[in-house]
Order: sequence, then C-alpha cells, then structure tokens
Amino acid sequence: MTPEMTRVERLDDMIAARVGGRGWLVAVLGAALVAISALLPWTYTDAYPENLTVYFYPAGPQLYVLALSVVALVLLVGERVDVLGRLVRLAVPHGTGGTVRALALGSFLISVGVVLRMIVLLGGSVNVDPGGYLAVVGALLLMIGSRVLPSDDPLPLRAKLPAAVEIAIVGVSMLVMLVLVVRGLALDEQESFSAFAVFAGFLVFAAARAGLIGWVSQLSSRHYGVTVAAAFVVAALFPFTQGGANRYLNVMANVLIFAIVAIGLNIVIGLAGLLDLGYIAFLGVGAYTGALLSGSQFSTVDWVPPFPVVLALGALAAALFGVIIGIPSIRTRGDYLAIVTLGFGEIFRITVNNLGGTGSGPDITNGPNGIPDIPALEFFGWNLGEDLNIFGFELGFFANYYFIELVLLAFVVLVFVRANNSRIGRAWVAIREDETAAAAMGINTFRLKVSAFVLGASLAGLAGVIKAHLSTSVEPTQFQFLESAFLVAAIVLGGMGTVTGVLLGATILRLLPEKLRFIDEYRLLIFGAALILVMRFRPEGLVPSARRAREFHEEEITERLAREQVAGSPVTGSRGGQP
Amino acid sequence: MDLFFGQLQNGVVLGALYALIALGYTMVYGIIQLINFAHGEIFMVGAFGALSVFTWGSLQGTTTWVALPLMLVGAVIASVTTALLAERFAYRPLRNAPRLAPLITAIGLSIVLQELVRTSLPIPGGQQIFDGATRAQPFPQLIGGESIDLGVTSISRINLTIIVVALVCMVALIQFVNRSRTGRAMQATAQDPDTARLMGINVNRIIVTAFLLGAALAAVAGLMHGLRYGNVDNRIGFIAGLKAFTAAVLGGIGNIGGAVLGGFFLGLVETMATTYMPGDFGGGAWKDAWAFVVLVLVLVLRPQGLLGEKVADRA
Repeated sequence: MTPEMTRVERLDDMIAARVGGRGWLVAVLGAALVAISALLPWTYTDAYPENLTVYFYPAGPQLYVLALSVVALVLLVGERVDVLGRLVRLAVPHGTGGTVRALALGSFLISVGVVLRMIVLLGGSVNVDPGGYLAVVGALLLMIGSRVLPSDDPLPLRAKLPAAVEIAIVGVSMLVMLVLVVRGLALDEQESFSAFAVFAGFLVFAAARAGLIGWVSQLSSRHYGVTVAAAFVVAALFPFTQGGANRYLNVMANVLIFAIVAIGLNIVIGLAGLLDLGYIAFLGVGAYTGALLSGSQFSTVDWVPPFPVVLALGALAAALFGVIIGIPSIRTRGDYLAIVTLGFGEIFRITVNNLGGTGSGPDITNGPNGIPDIPALEFFGWNLGEDLNIFGFELGFFANYYFIELVLLAFVVLVFVRANNSRIGRAWVAIREDETAAAAMGINTFRLKVSAFVLGASLAGLAGVIKAHLSTSVEPTQFQFLESAFLVAAIVLGGMGTVTGVLLGATILRLLPEKLRFIDEYRLLIFGAALILVMRFRPEGLVPSARRAREFHEEEITERLAREQVAGSPVTGSRGGQP
Repeated sequence: MDLFFGQLQNGVVLGALYALIALGYTMVYGIIQLINFAHGEIFMVGAFGALSVFTWGSLQGTTTWVALPLMLVGAVIASVTTALLAERFAYRPLRNAPRLAPLITAIGLSIVLQELVRTSLPIPGGQQIFDGATRAQPFPQLIGGESIDLGVTSISRINLTIIVVALVCMVALIQFVNRSRTGRAMQATAQDPDTARLMGINVNRIIVTAFLLGAALAAVAGLMHGLRYGNVDNRIGFIAGLKAFTAAVLGGIGNIGGAVLGGFFLGLVETMATTYMPGDFGGGAWKDAWAFVVLVLVLVLRPQGLLGEKVADRA
C-alpha cells in the first residue's frame, strides 16, 4: 500500500510551507486577537441573545472564546518561558500542540457560528461590529498557527498522589461535569445553548488532547468503587439544582430509562456481539406488564399486585420473551440475526396493536389506543406522585421517578460490570471475537448466547415497568423499529461494551434533541446522518474500549507501525493530529 | 372462485414488485456480501422521482404514452443517483470494516432518505410535502380502462402491465448477467473478487454496476407501485424493502433466479394469508405480521434459501 496523504495532511504541508517556523508567532497573535475581540462589542443591537454590545464586558459566546483563547495563550507563552514551561508540561502532559489545536477549532467554530447567525437573524452583515470579525480573523490565525505546532508527545503518567487527593480530583472533575450540564440546561435561547454546547464540547476535547481526561480516568480506575459511588451521588444532586422546575427532570427521567435499556442492550451487543434490532420489544413487554397490573381503568386485568411483585413479573415476562425470541434467533448469525430480531420486534408491535378486540384479535392490550391513565407507583407506602420534601427542597413526580431510576441504573450497571468480569462475560467476549474458536475451546455457545439474550431482556423488562408509570400511558407506537435503532445508535455512538460510553451516548441522543428544538423537524435526518458519519470516521465510538479501537483501526495502526519502522523512529514533526 | 383468481392476480402483481426489489438486494449481496438495508428506500425514491416528473413537468392531461416514459426516466435517474452516491460515500469507505459497521450505516442511510423526502422534497405550490396529518401523496392513475377477459377470469390493464414489465426486466437482467462481458465479470467477482481482480476485472466498476442495475429495477418497481396502489408516502420503502429482502433470502441470497422465485412466492403467501387465514388473524391488520413470520422462519430454518447453496459462516 502506498501511504497516500489525506486532504488534511496536504493542507498542513501547504501551511507549513507558507508559515514555516513562524507558526508559534501566528498562533500567539491569533489568540491575542481573539482575547481582545471578546472585550469589544460584536454587534450594536441587543436583539441578539445575551447582549454582546458592551465594551470590556464579555457575555455568552464572547466569554467562551475569551476563556478558550486565554488558555491557549497561557499554554503557548508559558511553554517558552523557563520556569513556567515545566509547569505547563505538568498541566498538559500530552504536550500543547494538540490541546491548542482543539482550543483553536473551538473558538473558530463559536465565532464563525455567532457571526453567521447574526447576519441571518438580524438581517445583513451591517449588524456585525468589527469585534465579531476580529474574533473570526483571530481564531483563523490561531488555527493556522496551531496546525504547525509540534504534535503530541505523550508523557508517561506514573506520578502517584496521596489517595485522598486523587479521589478529590475525581470528585471535583465530576462536579465540573454536573455544573457544565446544569449551566447548559439553564440556557433557553437556542443561540446561547449552541454556543455553550460547542464551548463545553471543545473544552472536554482539549482536556482529552492535553491528556487530562486520560489522567482522570486512570485515577478513577485506581479508585473504581469510590468513583462509581461519587458518580451516583453527583447524579443524585441533579434534581436539587432545578429549583422545583419539572421541565428537565422530566427529560432526565426519560434519559435514564433510555440509558438503563441501552446498558441492558450493551450486554447483548457490546459483550456477546449479537446485534439485536428488536430490543425495544422487551421494554414493551415490561411496559405492558406494568400497565396491565397497574389498576388503570383501561387495563384488561383486574389484579393489582404490590410494586415489587409487578417489577419481578415484568422482568420475568421479558425474560420469557427473551427465551422465546432468543432460541430461534441465535441459530442465525451476524446480519441475519439482526434481521430476525428486527422481524420479531415488528411482530411484537403489530400484535399489541391488533389485540384490541376490534375484529383483529381478542382485547388484551386495548389496541392502538394503548393503556392510558396509569396511576403513580406506590412503593412501601410512598406514593411517587406526591411531592417529597428533602432539606427544604420540593421534589415532585419526576424527581421521585428520577431517584428510583437512578437506583435501577446502579443495579443494571452493577449487573453489567459483574457479568463483564465474570467467567460468563469472558465467554461472551470470546464468542463475539470468534464463535467457531470459542466453541472449539469448549464454550457452550448456544447456552451462553441465550443467556445474554435473556439477561438483557429481563433488564429491559424492569425498565419497562417503570417507564409505564413514568409516561402514564403505554401505546404500540412507543415500540417501533426506530426506537431500537436509537438504542443501537446510543451504543455505537458511545462505544460498544463500555458503561461510560453508553451513558454518554444515551444522554447525547436524548438530551440534545430536547435542547435543540429548532432542529425538531430535522431531528431524525440529523440522527441518520450522524449514524453514517460516526461509522465513517469514528466507528469505535466516543469512549471506546481499547480492544474495539484497535479492531476498527487495524489498518491504520499497521500502516503507522510500518512507517515508523521505515523512519527508524516514531513519527514526530510538523504533522498535526494524533498519532 | 372469482375471489381466488382475484387474489391470485394480486399476489402475482405484489410478487412481481417484490421480485424487482429483491434483485437489487441479491446482486449487491452476491458481490460484496452487504445487506443494503437502504435498498427499500431506493425504491421509494424512485416512486417519488416519477411523481416529481409528473407534477413538475405538468404532465397532467398529456397522454399516457408521453407521461409514462418520462416518469420512468425520472424514477430511474432519482434511484440510480441516490444508490451511486450511497455506494461511493457511505459504503465504499467501509468495505474492509467489521460487518456491523456497514449495516448500521445502511440503517442511518435509510432514515436519512426517508426524512429527506419527508422534509425537503419540493412540490409545486411551495409548501412542504408532508404538511399536516396526511402522509400519502396521490399518484396519477395513468393505466386504466376496461379489464381484459381471459375466459376463466379477467385481468386489469395495470396488473397485466406490471406482470409484463417485470418479466421483461427479469429476462433482460438474466440475459445481461449471463451473456454480456460485464455480466460475466459480475459473476466472476461474486465467485472470487481477488482472482477476478487478477484477471483484469475492475472490481470497483463491477460493484458500481451491481448497485446501478439494482437501483434501476427498484425504480421500475417504484413507478409500478405508484400506478397500481394510487398513492406513495415516504415510508413505503421500509416494509417493502424488508419483504423484498425476505424474498431474496427465500430464493437463496446471491442467486438471481432465486430472488424472482422468492418474490412471487412471498407475494402469493401474503395475499392468500390475508384472505384465507381463519378467524381474527386474517385481514389487513395482520398482513405485515405474516410477512415477518415468513421472514423469521426462512432465516432460521432455511438461511440458504430455496435455491441457494449451503453457506458456511455468515458471521
């Protein structure tokens, strides 16, 4: 294979030829210009959200580019100053090159986005003050300059701090995440939110490039139990940040259901490698079980057992379905398995749609109307519909469900992690990697694949029971194929076989559409395009497991190794991007 | 007996449409082992291509002999362009990726095409295509007139047209694959792409040809579907695509004759089940469910299909 240059590499070479050794200077100049521009007005009218009209008083996007450019400036200048240089090196263990590139791209996207939006929203470029253009020019210079900075040169991270300090660092970084999320949710204007989302995204990206994310995740895996506990504590703090407002608690309660189901599916897809495209049916079985036993006046069953019994029955019913669907399905492999499960999922939806007693079957599920009016859960004398008062905080319906779901999520994560580290989990991974070889090693592939199916199904059944009560009605349209596609997308986007990745993927897929109402009409279009793009450019997902990443980039890695061998040393030099 | 012959006719027509779409699945699968999940959407795009030519070209009032060829050209252009773009920019970069990747890309592509048609396809008058609750767009009924008497039963003109057109397409395709240089190159590539490349066959061109032929046949099916059923919406491709895929597997995926056989078989089973299934489980409400049952049974019990050879490892 001839090592062809990608377009980005060719562009970098062109920049290197023009700018030469002056890259650092150009970058510093650009960062300084961006910082200055943030102190100037970007427009003269306050019709644009967040008032960008005042001298020396940055707001919204100005604040974001100011923060990004100042960090870039400190890194760039600090690196060249004797004492500071060592400090910078400590703070940015992977080297400044990649970090500054990420910061530059972030400030460029924000400033260009804001200027373009101003032109569209306010009607013409006359509404943009020089400050706005200065920001764009500065960010462009920063980008160009940063392309020719030396590329990342990872420093091995062996430093050990006292355990308490390490735990504190993990806790603080989680709190930072919570603050970012809460702050983002509080921004109502779509312009404000988009700018903030880009800012937060590139801040995290820059931290990843700097090696800080890797460092924190190293620390957290050193203190795994504490980290997981801290994560749940931080998540449990969320309802208290909402000041009694229900809007985002409702959204987050739905995000959690989605996340629970996605982790259940991750056992099937991520661990056992069985692509199930009809998984939403198991959620449906749980939801219909919950709805039928809820005492709703539209339910065709009169029995209303206590909640723990319903929960157990929901899981049991889903598990039973898992067996029924699983045994025939897993006789097939790969693509065929995906299509068979898709077929079962659709058969489930059509069946519950038809069993309404109107000429297409007996009345069991109330047909297309579904089962509405599902009452709130009663849980050991605690009615989830009633407000709860903790430390003077009013917590309503959605907050109560949020807490219940958090407990269920903790349980599902525990099941996933324990299964992953068990003998069964290793057998699943072996089957995923090479079924024939696994069978030859004495693994009973049939039984293990069914067990993955059944375990995943019963977890979805649990989530379904709670979902029925949360959304107070259950209808066939909630379980169409697209929902299964969303679940698979959450796993693929986040990273197969990892918990963090799937949680991240589920949150992004469910939360962003809620915030970006302006894309409502194009929501599905963007979703489909994102699936294609992720498969094209980052098939291993946002937070990949190490093995997956290697699998998907096998060719590139072999190529790089070959190139390194030819060069006799690791590739360093003018080229940007990560190795 | 009239009911039986009527349903037989409907079944054969439905089967002809399934078969036309199934050919696209089977050709692409035979060559690069890719389930082009978005192929049903190519069929849908074809139907809308034909409809757009009709509405934008102000063909209302022209004779069928003018309108129909123009609509066919529109359908083929729309489908083939879409399929070739998909091949070039979505599938080709993933040719050596793990098998999960192209399948997920195909699902994404399927959603993108459905939504593009729903949100962005312009129609005369300026409003968006699916404003309000109605999803279905009326499709011009160009082939009407008296039914033709065949003695025991009569056949409507549109049904006869579909059957004749489908048969002509199938025969032409089989001749092309068996007789022409490109067709034989396709067979060689399907057998062993590496050896085919060594023999001087441009494998990329062959893959593009397979996509192109499949899309053209799907476009014909799209036009015929519109003419037969009177309206089209952006979701006709999903179910039709899945059923055509079932037909392709039923006949043995990768096998061109098998796809035709599977298509007719599935069309007949579906229509007959709708009519003759006892009790509450017949009728339109369960129609799709029975098709999926056939899909599951075929994939589980006879994944190699009726005519296909035993395939060892499909993982």
